[in-house]
Amino acid sequence: MVKRAVPILLLTIAGVVPLWRFEAEPETVAAAEAPAATEAPGTSEAPATSQAPGATEAPAAAVKTVTGSLVRTSYGDVQVQLTFEGDVITKVTMVKQPNSAPTKKAVPVLVQETLDAQSADVDTVSGATTTSGAYVQSLQAAIDAKGD
Amino acid sequence: MGFPISVDLRDGDPAAVDRAFEWLREADARFSPFRSDSEVSRLDRAEPAPNGLSPDLAYVLDLCSYYERATGGAFSARIPGRGLDPCAVVKGWAVQRAADLLTAAGVTRFVINAGGDVVTAGGPWRVGVRHPVEADRFCTVLEVTSQAVATSARYERGDHILDGRTGLPVTDLLSLTVVAPTLTVADATATAAFAMGVEGIEWAATQEGCEVFAVDAEHGVHRTAGLPVAGAPVAG
Repeated sequence: MVKRAVPILLLTIAGVVPLWRFEAEPETVAAAEAPAATEAPGTSEAPATSQAPGATEAPAAAVKTVTGSLVRTSYGDVQVQLTFEGDVITKVTMVKQPNSAPTKKAVPVLVQETLDAQSADVDTVSGATTTSGAYVQSLQAAIDAKGD
Repeated sequence: MGFPISVDLRDGDPAAVDRAFEWLREADARFSPFRSDSEVSRLDRAEPAPNGLSPDLAYVLDLCSYYERATGGAFSARIPGRGLDPCAVVKGWAVQRAADLLTAAGVTRFVINAGGDVVTAGGPWRVGVRHPVEADRFCTVLEVTSQAVATSARYERGDHILDGRTGLPVTDLLSLTVVAPTLTVADATATAAFAMGVEGIEWAATQEGCEVFAVDAEHGVHRTAGLPVAGAPVAG
């Protein structure tokens, strides 16, 4: 059991960095610093994964969850949890990733568009209507007046 | 607080609205910086309160300091030269609590619109976002269910939103709208992000549960991929 855990942990480390880099790619800063990722210990220790065939001798489709060790990168700490069915990874969960406090999404994806002006049937209106004078002239006032 | 509040009630007991409005009047009396006898004004004058800081005011001040830290000081309840003004946080929080009172009273489908800040229950509801230049048009229409929508903008009172880091008005954004699970979060996030200017768009997008729609001074639109944009209206 202990022997089998070793290649899995190494696989975890090797697997983490590309996965995380993929996530971070939209950030130009991360892309510029990309060479730093080659320092990832997983790559240099890759030969160790040659022990992996041992793991494949495990009973087929046995489900196993392993948590990788904490990897410190120049971007921050990275740690993943992998779920294996036999020797196939079926699920990857980021236990720890850079700049991701629980209150933050990893990377915001913003869509750029041109400003559109439309008229539509709506239930209510969101806008900065902070004075009653502005309210009287607003679409929301019309909607409220229409209410039954 | 000086803004109109309307409630569109689709089920439940209309008397629940009276209780919700009663709470809003209480919140205004207690937290308005424009009333000299409010808890906020008394705290600003450093008057000792007979029973100490109320839990509600403590919560509001906590929220203010959270957003002050999160925006690096762009959002501030205490801009130099002005008194303590937690309005930006109080409004969303008080209206959300009014909505919670309706829900607790058994109402399941309603919209509260408080000066353009919207909290919904049930749905889906179609929420038009006022176009920042053409007052009688929308720049987008959202479809939300039990979510809140808040908009911060320059169009009504001009350059009135100040960046707390510089004390100068924000001029690189026209309007910024946030969709969030509660109006407490939507309103505070929209106001705080607006105070940051264009960099606030991405900041707001990183906030838990928030989707963002923003129009910059060049009329460019920036929105998050997950923004719940409504489909074409159904005929009839």
